[in-house]
Amino acid sequence: MSTVDERRPAGAPVRADGPPPRNRVPRPWTDRLLTVVGVLVLAFLFAPIVVVIVYSFNEGRLLIAWDHFGFGSFRALTERPAIRSAVVVSLQVAVLSSLVATLLGTMAGVALARRPGRWTWWFIGLLLLVSVTPEIVDAVSLLPWLVYLGNDAGLSVFNGGIVRLVVGHSLFSTAVVSYIVRARLVGLDESLEEASGDLYAPPGRTFRRITVPLAMPAVLAGFLLSFTLSLDNTIVSAFVQVSGTTPWPVYVLSALRSGLRPEIAAVSTVMLVLTLLALGLVAWVLRRSGDSATDIARTMGGG
Amino acid sequence: MPEAAPAAPPSRLRLPRFALALPAGLWLVVFFVVPIATIVWFSFGYKPGLFGTHANDVLSLERYRETFSSTFFATFRNTLWVGVAGTALCLLVGMPAAYWMAVKAPARRRGLLIALVMVPYWTNFLVRTIGWQVILAPQGWLSGLLQSLHLTSGPLDILYTRTAVLIGVVYNYLPLMILPLFVAFDRVGEPLREASKDLGATRWRTFTRVTLPLARPGIVAGTVLVFIPLMGDYVTATVLGGARGNMVGQLVASQFQTAQNWALGSAMAVVLILVIAVTVGVFAALAWLVGRPLRARHRLVLEEVP
Repeated sequence: MSTVDERRPAGAPVRADGPPPRNRVPRPWTDRLLTVVGVLVLAFLFAPIVVVIVYSFNEGRLLIAWDHFGFGSFRALTERPAIRSAVVVSLQVAVLSSLVATLLGTMAGVALARRPGRWTWWFIGLLLLVSVTPEIVDAVSLLPWLVYLGNDAGLSVFNGGIVRLVVGHSLFSTAVVSYIVRARLVGLDESLEEASGDLYAPPGRTFRRITVPLAMPAVLAGFLLSFTLSLDNTIVSAFVQVSGTTPWPVYVLSALRSGLRPEIAAVSTVMLVLTLLALGLVAWVLRRSGDSATDIARTMGGG
Repeated sequence: MPEAAPAAPPSRLRLPRFALALPAGLWLVVFFVVPIATIVWFSFGYKPGLFGTHANDVLSLERYRETFSSTFFATFRNTLWVGVAGTALCLLVGMPAAYWMAVKAPARRRGLLIALVMVPYWTNFLVRTIGWQVILAPQGWLSGLLQSLHLTSGPLDILYTRTAVLIGVVYNYLPLMILPLFVAFDRVGEPLREASKDLGATRWRTFTRVTLPLARPGIVAGTVLVFIPLMGDYVTATVLGGARGNMVGQLVASQFQTAQNWALGSAMAVVLILVIAVTVGVFAALAWLVGRPLRARHRLVLEEVP
């Protein structure tokens, strides 16, 4: 090729006698480099997850030392009562805490979007504070408070393990649900609600029949996100839990000290599949309600 | 609000505008604001005797002085180092990845790519970190691979060091960087970049003068989203750090769980929050100062033609 030919501006007609080029505009090397980096980052993100899934089929005694392939470790889920109860506690708490967070967060989100005023600043400030406080600070401050409420204030509900975990898990999730519901309603015109009011529907009925259905995709997404957040919660759980109601991540954390066995990986693989199902459902709900990939990313990133 | 006119019929009770947000507000005040206020109060107290956890009959700043004593302060310095280095690495790794996802990757694959970033983010934090423990273990497969390729002389000696913690936190918080960056790059949009090219800008100039400034909110959001939880991290350091990679999160936890010194633990938690706030403030000021000459140079002044 001559130098003149190489300087030909992109998109100019090619020489008639030459072979037809495959790409009219050759991709510059920076694009290829970016692709390589992108794929490498994705590989990096999946490396430990793949390792955990592979090692859950380890038949050895210790997780780290690979022995041979087998399904033995998955039997622990049915055979080891401590593991089974940890998983059951986690699921119970996840359902309850996401119900609490969804209820509180949805009402707050509706109020933020439809009844803004000077109070909004205070409230958003509170939500921001909840979401930026390091989890460890949440955890250590909640423990003395729950002990005080349970013992000194005589509210014995707060001595129950499940109640404590539900309270601890619901805080961050309430903020997340409020953001998501608010974001969805702010994006929608209020005219439907006004029309309903003009047609003499009392405010309660307008809320039930118009506002709630409009916010529904966000409410569902918020519920499922709270669910996965709760399943994931380790730090707050480790502090507020009462022996007897140990959730799964805390069980893993304590197993860390006594030596990890392949059962941990096996149960984690099962939990991963559960989480993926929940997330798939969220994405499906959001997509059906007309969100683009970017909107979904924003929602799932927590606003 | 002005009073209702006396002639108005006594209609239904008017609720204040924030009525619907009231339950959530109360919930958060009772279980978030009050507990935090309590530990701030504890931090001015002391540990009475062997079996007490805290007492507040004599108030002092002694616990804060203790927090800044050399043993604990080393951990604070270590945490700050991991926090700043980890956030910088996340930005360094996340920026090209997010740019590729938002701009260069085929548009119809974008949803799938986001899902791929989100899956690790929503996988159990502890389990992911244990995955790294398996990878980095001296008797693990990576160590074996490196040795059989003669890239290292002995078994891999990374686990239970600060390097392992750094790898762990970069890994754990990378999705929190990529997602806002992706949203920001995606918002800039094809038409603006095209216009920049049509006006004769090179690719690099388009990136630095159009894409990057418009994506700035995303960069700020990502940096803050990564830095704050990273500074308070407890799990990563516990799993990968061992004794050599201690972080403040563990220090606070140990004061509450093993040492039973709630006063000191509270002071440490308060200092942790202050360190985070001050660092974010310092970096915001630095970014503003560094950006000032650049902004001044590129400012466009439109003068009216008389």
